[in-house]
Amino acid sequence: MMLYGPLAVWIAISFFGPYDVTQGVYSKLLYIHVPTVWIAYLGYTLTFLYSVFYFFTKKQKYDSLAIANAKSGVIFTVITLLAGSYWGKQTWGTWWVWGDARLNLTAILLLVYLGYIASRQFNKDLGKTARNSSFIGIFGVIQIPILHFSVIWWRSVHQQASILSQETVASGDAPMSTDILVTLLISVLLVTLVHIFLTKIFRRSNDILWDDYLNPKSRAKI
Amino acid sequence: MKKNLIIVLLGVGLIVYASTVIASRNTIYYYTTSETEDIEITTNERIKLGGFVVEGSISKDGGYTVFTITDGNKEIDILFDGFIPELFQENMGVILDGVLDNNIFFADDMLVKHDNEYVSSDGETYDVKSYSK
Repeated sequence: MMLYGPLAVWIAISFFGPYDVTQGVYSKLLYIHVPTVWIAYLGYTLTFLYSVFYFFTKKQKYDSLAIANAKSGVIFTVITLLAGSYWGKQTWGTWWVWGDARLNLTAILLLVYLGYIASRQFNKDLGKTARNSSFIGIFGVIQIPILHFSVIWWRSVHQQASILSQETVASGDAPMSTDILVTLLISVLLVTLVHIFLTKIFRRSNDILWDDYLNPKSRAKI
Repeated sequence: MKKNLIIVLLGVGLIVYASTVIASRNTIYYYTTSETEDIEITTNERIKLGGFVVEGSISKDGGYTVFTITDGNKEIDILFDGFIPELFQENMGVILDGVLDNNIFFADDMLVKHDNEYVSSDGETYDVKSYSK
């Protein structure tokens, strides 16, 4: 219920929500593309913070929180790439633009965090694994500001930010109709709930790994 | 453990390096119409050209779509033969791929570049003052 409730409402408002008159109905992909990438940013930022905490305190819960946020972030990055690609096909006229900085950097972002998840398998010793992975968790976050400002620094096919732009933040006026803006913000909230649910599940599965690692005997009994 | 650490650090370094290279290589994804005066283009060299479709300039000529794009300073006529995205219309930003010859651009590939404005059908609440670009 925790998962399906927000998920169902999110899909419903994406389906029935208002859309941009110039771009047509496909601009409803905004409600999928934008919230997922924001929450992916959030997830990777939390991965960074918990990786730092883990590195300095060596408390297992921070490692579990770091990996949980990265896994959820990867899921949302995949969704944002798929939704963005389909949106691009409908408006720009192509699924993917190889020369575009923002598109390429998002693909690299996904690869780095897939690498982060893969790095958990490098070493059977969970203590060493967690320490090594925390480096990727710490350095991987560098990409987020580069990615966010890529549309400002470099000439791009991708449009500028509508909400997280200097003008919008400074003036408080988004270049968006109120109904579109409200629908977008609600979908951000719903995706946040989905993220919280997913991280809980991923955290629990990593906690079990830590349990096995720290108390090998208790597992043998079961 | 030291070995693993070095591998991880090398990997992260490589990724950061690769993303910087990729990003900086694409600092100019397309040229604006004014910029075509300053760049040197060899004959038949393909370039990407971006601009806004001038109002009332779109027409059909044989199999070609003829229109004019501008960046506000310089207009270039386009002879286009290729797939036209649905969103293509007057005043819309487009990025074209083709060959420039005597101020006529022969293009066969088009991307429509949409801006960051979202206006719904009851868009009267939308405040245009803050957005002037």
